[in-house]
Amino acid sequence: MLQLPSLETLNMGAALPAISIAAWACILLLIDLWIPKDRKILTVYLAAGNLVFAFIANLLVFNQSGDSFMGMYVADQFSGVMNLIIIGTALLSIVLSFDYLKRVGIERGEYYVLVLFVTAGAMFMAAANDLILIFVALELLSIPLYVLSAFRAPDIRSEEAGMKYFLLGAFASAFLVFGGAMVYGATGTTNLNEIAASAGMIIASNSSTSLFLLLGAALLLVGLGFKVAAVPFHEWTPDVYEGAPTPVTAFMSVAAKLGGFGSLLRILVVGMSAVTMTAGEPAVWQNVVAILAGLTMIVGNIVALSQANIKRMLAYSSIANAGYILMAVAAAGSPGLANEATRGALVYMLAYMFTNMGAFAVVIAVERANGGADLEHFVGLGKARPMLAIMMVVFMMSLTGIPLTGGFIGKALVFATTLNAGLVWLAIIGVLTSVVSAYYYVRVIVNMFLRDAEASTEEATPGYSTGVQWVAAVALGGTVLLGVLPTLITVLTDRVSLVASITP
Amino acid sequence: MSPLQEFAPIAVLLIIAVLVAIIISIISRLFGPYKPTSRKVSPYESGMKPIGSASRRYSIRFYLVAVLFILFDIEVVFFLPWAVVFRDMGLYALAAMGVFTLVLTIGLIYEWKVGALEWE
Amino acid sequence: MLEITPNTIAFLVFALLSVGGALGVVVSTNLIHGALFLIVSLFGGAGLFVLLAAPFMAAVQILVYIGAIAILIIFAVMLTRSMTSLSEIFNRQWWISAIVAVVMLGLLLVGAILPVWGPSGTNAMLPVSDAVGTTVDLGIALVDGNQFVLPFEVASLLLTAAMIGAIVIARDNE
Repeated sequence: MLQLPSLETLNMGAALPAISIAAWACILLLIDLWIPKDRKILTVYLAAGNLVFAFIANLLVFNQSGDSFMGMYVADQFSGVMNLIIIGTALLSIVLSFDYLKRVGIERGEYYVLVLFVTAGAMFMAAANDLILIFVALELLSIPLYVLSAFRAPDIRSEEAGMKYFLLGAFASAFLVFGGAMVYGATGTTNLNEIAASAGMIIASNSSTSLFLLLGAALLLVGLGFKVAAVPFHEWTPDVYEGAPTPVTAFMSVAAKLGGFGSLLRILVVGMSAVTMTAGEPAVWQNVVAILAGLTMIVGNIVALSQANIKRMLAYSSIANAGYILMAVAAAGSPGLANEATRGALVYMLAYMFTNMGAFAVVIAVERANGGADLEHFVGLGKARPMLAIMMVVFMMSLTGIPLTGGFIGKALVFATTLNAGLVWLAIIGVLTSVVSAYYYVRVIVNMFLRDAEASTEEATPGYSTGVQWVAAVALGGTVLLGVLPTLITVLTDRVSLVASITP
Repeated sequence: MSPLQEFAPIAVLLIIAVLVAIIISIISRLFGPYKPTSRKVSPYESGMKPIGSASRRYSIRFYLVAVLFILFDIEVVFFLPWAVVFRDMGLYALAAMGVFTLVLTIGLIYEWKVGALEWE
Repeated sequence: MLEITPNTIAFLVFALLSVGGALGVVVSTNLIHGALFLIVSLFGGAGLFVLLAAPFMAAVQILVYIGAIAILIIFAVMLTRSMTSLSEIFNRQWWISAIVAVVMLGLLLVGAILPVWGPSGTNAMLPVSDAVGTTVDLGIALVDGNQFVLPFEVASLLLTAAMIGAIVIARDNE
């Protein structure tokens, strides 16, 4: 007979941060109906308040690791750190959005509800320990993002972005589901712990079942590779990033990556680390992921060189950064290195979050002041708005990976773990492409300081809004603090360990 | 019991429906008077002339209604397996489905309030 | 030799509906007709699900695919102009579609012939073959806290998010 679970056994408290955001998104949807059109700032406060609540709740349950919903949702230090980064992203982008939405006349409360849905989806993805939950959470992350991309609807570029993202995203989801079905067919379970328990045996048996397991893993990799914009599944990225409203671009460049890498790390490290040809060897997916990482870094950085639009350039930069994180994922395939690599990826993602949000804040400010986000619009920024320009310099330096910025710490950790894993060629590609990337990042700096605007006649448009100012300042603080005092975050990440608990 | 036997009533229903339709039209054709004129054979559509291109464009509102219909249709699909077991699982299953329905009801209220169900 | 039982007859009928409908979708020059053929094909699929002892899948096929998605496709066709009478079946990308179709067929054949699943599977330790899921199992799995209650609730969030999205995008901006 069926055992009814009690509330204690479900242990919902551990999943409280994600659940509170999801529940509040629904409530906020209703509240927003009664908020008059000219007072949408209330919706922003309500959404931000919920995010702050979830942030604090996440800190409270940080050390209380445990399964929620019987191993469906794993609240460990990994999801704890991921949740902090995801909530931070959502907070920063909500603050960024309000002013932008008002300016382009698309001020609607649904925007913030959808952002909350994406946030909840990303958090579920990072904590999901089951292929079914991973798929549902991925859709919860993706569908609102399609809508947000097209949020500036009569604008043709925004519509195009939403359409492209939707079509290709639906395709990627299909790959993910198909892969999940293959893995289920091979192992008879969707739970990652149980997959881990039977995967090694299946590979060792060398029967046709192992073929299905590998095919399934490959398809899962394709589906998630699309979400994190890894080459060769990156084709949508530049168009979508350019067409979507800028705060949405900022949000999705980080949030979708966080969710995607959260699930990818869990699937590969928890579920598939036993998939080796001989025990003690690196997992078979290591080489595949490493090749993807190499391709992603090369293509992303080299195509970024020729971009004249900053949003497009940051899109390719985002592809390239996916490559660096993938490098850590590949390193996690070596036995004994999984935790070190995971920690490296976490620090990298945190640094990328601060840096990228900051860079997009500056882009929004420049769009507002100069009416566009082409490289030309940045000319003479050093004179017109020195504070803004200096912030941008720091963000560009962090993206390049220059010491004393968060980007450097992230890259150092990722390169170190890659070398430890013996993937020397991959680390060399990483270093070389970082050098290449310096060219286009520095070009922004050059344009801001060393070139003068031909006609700097236009009187300074009203300064950038307080929201954008705050976000840029917070991002700057985060980037520098992480670069100077990396122990602040490594204290948290050092306790992260991703291992399958074999007894479910 | 093989699945075919389980579904036999549905198959019987299908066959009867098809047969009745055919038989009725045959009977009326056999026993009714049949003197066609162009007026008589043209379809009746409330006095409007029903002939014209069928490929004129329809309002986008149809599409929104269809999309919303799909979403609630999927909700109904989730009800199916739940309905089979909820008697055994009692209050707990009711609560689980209650949360599910509540979330979708919130969506429905939003949809209603925002005017997506109005045709204007 | 093929034994003629009610099952085989039913299978042949449904398979014929399924494949014939699919063929009709591909060759009809009127998109509306194509959409209607799709319904025939989906109905055949529903019958096959019944024969495979998966009545819930059959219900989903009828309710969602025929009842909603096919209707949506017909609406989508009606929203477009000048797509109802195509003069030719082949376009420039026909060979890509052909290659994809052949590869998919090959994959499916391999999957169906390789003895992985089912009683003749090489992997006897697999717990798959003995568990024939019924609608009851599915219902329990959906709401049971030990199984899939969380994805079930998240699915409702997903549906709501999709609803908001559809309204935000399709409604006129006032």
